[in-house]
Amino acid sequence: MHRVGFTTTVPLEVVIAAGKIPVDMNNVFITSPRSHQLIEEAEVDGFPRSTCGWIKGMYAAILEKGIKELIAVTEGDCSNTRALMEVLSLKGVETVPFAYPHDRQPESIRFEIEKLMRHFGVGWDAVNLSRERLGRIRRKVREIDRLTWEENRVTGAENHYYQVCTSDMNSDPDRFEADVDTFIAEARARSPFKDKLRLAYIGVPPIFDDLYQFTESLGARVVFNETQRQFAMPYDTQDMVEQYRAYTYPYDIFHRLSDILLELERRKVDAVIHYVQSFCFRQIEDMIVRQKVPLPILTLEGDKPTPLDARTKIRIEGFLEMLAG
Amino acid sequence: MQIGIDLGSRKAKFALLDGERIVRLADHDTVTFYKRYGRLAGDELELDLAASGIFSADELAGAAVVVTGYGRNTLSLKGAKVISEIRAHVAGALLQTGLRDFTLLDMGGQDTKVALVRSGKLADFVMNDKCAASSGRYLENMAAILELSLDELSSHWENPVKLDATCGIFGESELIGQILRGHPVERLCAGVNQTLVTRVMPMLKRFASETIVLTGGVARNRGVVRLLEEKTGLAVIVPEHPQHNGAIGCAHMETGS
Repeated sequence: MHRVGFTTTVPLEVVIAAGKIPVDMNNVFITSPRSHQLIEEAEVDGFPRSTCGWIKGMYAAILEKGIKELIAVTEGDCSNTRALMEVLSLKGVETVPFAYPHDRQPESIRFEIEKLMRHFGVGWDAVNLSRERLGRIRRKVREIDRLTWEENRVTGAENHYYQVCTSDMNSDPDRFEADVDTFIAEARARSPFKDKLRLAYIGVPPIFDDLYQFTESLGARVVFNETQRQFAMPYDTQDMVEQYRAYTYPYDIFHRLSDILLELERRKVDAVIHYVQSFCFRQIEDMIVRQKVPLPILTLEGDKPTPLDARTKIRIEGFLEMLAG
Repeated sequence: MQIGIDLGSRKAKFALLDGERIVRLADHDTVTFYKRYGRLAGDELELDLAASGIFSADELAGAAVVVTGYGRNTLSLKGAKVISEIRAHVAGALLQTGLRDFTLLDMGGQDTKVALVRSGKLADFVMNDKCAASSGRYLENMAAILELSLDELSSHWENPVKLDATCGIFGESELIGQILRGHPVERLCAGVNQTLVTRVMPMLKRFASETIVLTGGVARNRGVVRLLEEKTGLAVIVPEHPQHNGAIGCAHMETGS
């Protein structure tokens, strides 16, 4: 079956309705045992050192996996995606632009979704059917999230994994749903964790692979993964347009903050880790986050897919010690 | 008696305290010290303190040992407690200055830390991450380019030549360019010192206090102190033993402060 790659969460319902295999290139890149080499390959091809590691990793992963069709998000996510799209078109990849319009108006969002539907030749009936099917899986993932913060039976890393996978349902919704079912049954049977500190993780998913494990080894568990939870579409909405309007990640920081502030309080979070990717425009928004979030914040910066470096570990340890008093 | 050890990137610092009284301070070049008295056991570092001769056998036998420093994650010292650098430096500054509310600026060999201290407790902190251009190592490099001692470099602050490179290594070629333009050495030195202050300003601005306590090896640079006062308009206090502040803090932690 034909695979369709994409650069961040896009209306998955359309891809599924078209009978294609969805592939989130971020997940392919970060889970590759060659993730570090993929970045080097992109740099050899000419990508600047001072460009985000995710863009470079996705570029090389798309070529490595032989992806021929790619939905590229050109508004509401990273503006570097536009150049990525242009470079890939030279390599023979068909690119389909998709935008999350900054105005967040229902008609603008509907226009973008329908444009995508026209490209894949599907109508609303088919799309709504896949929305129902995906909604069932997303609600189960929402239960994993609830088990994380309300019942304390799920680790930060597990919470991250299941939510982040909803962007493409691991390219196989049925199998993913079965995995989710098994995990929920296992997690429900666990004894609750008794960590002292409850952390929130905000910002794009981490490029480090051991952040959650490291904080947990120091007695602090992430009970809120902001962006990953957004990928899992956590709200009950009437239709697709509302669903992608409520989704916070691609819109302005203030829309994101209203969700963050609500969840920090609901989940009784003690402190926040704000992850920023090197060379990403979202680094600038750290200024606003620091002004608006009324909790201690540690800003971490990551560049390439590596375990936490010694310096970042020192900063996390210092932060957690400070919180412990 | 308590022993505090701060294993920095350039210097390993040692402090012996009796209660709050400083009995002895010592330092060694880190690399030399590791070569002579350090060894890896598995993934961990072990130090042969007895062989180093810094402390007597009685002191080593009787004192509690607390250690901090960059090697913390790979550090194992038999019988020693390991604490984070930020905690060590705040404890040292509290003991050395007697102040309770201040902004601590610790400028070491590679690390620059800024900590906000309120009512004697750490309230927030920030630390340089990907770049060590605002550190003692930068000063050492620039002194070498100018063929001057660190002491000479440290004595100038007036009329600084502007240096703009964001990178400590590119800064060397920029400085060479300014030498070629014929600027007097005093102004070049002041320019180098000014660069450090400019780079830490965003971190300082985040944690505003009426007083800055400056520690770390760079605190011995009079030019930096003077320029820091000018640029911030605040009182800059350098404790008596700025470079040993972390080691003193480690030793003092053991008294239950």
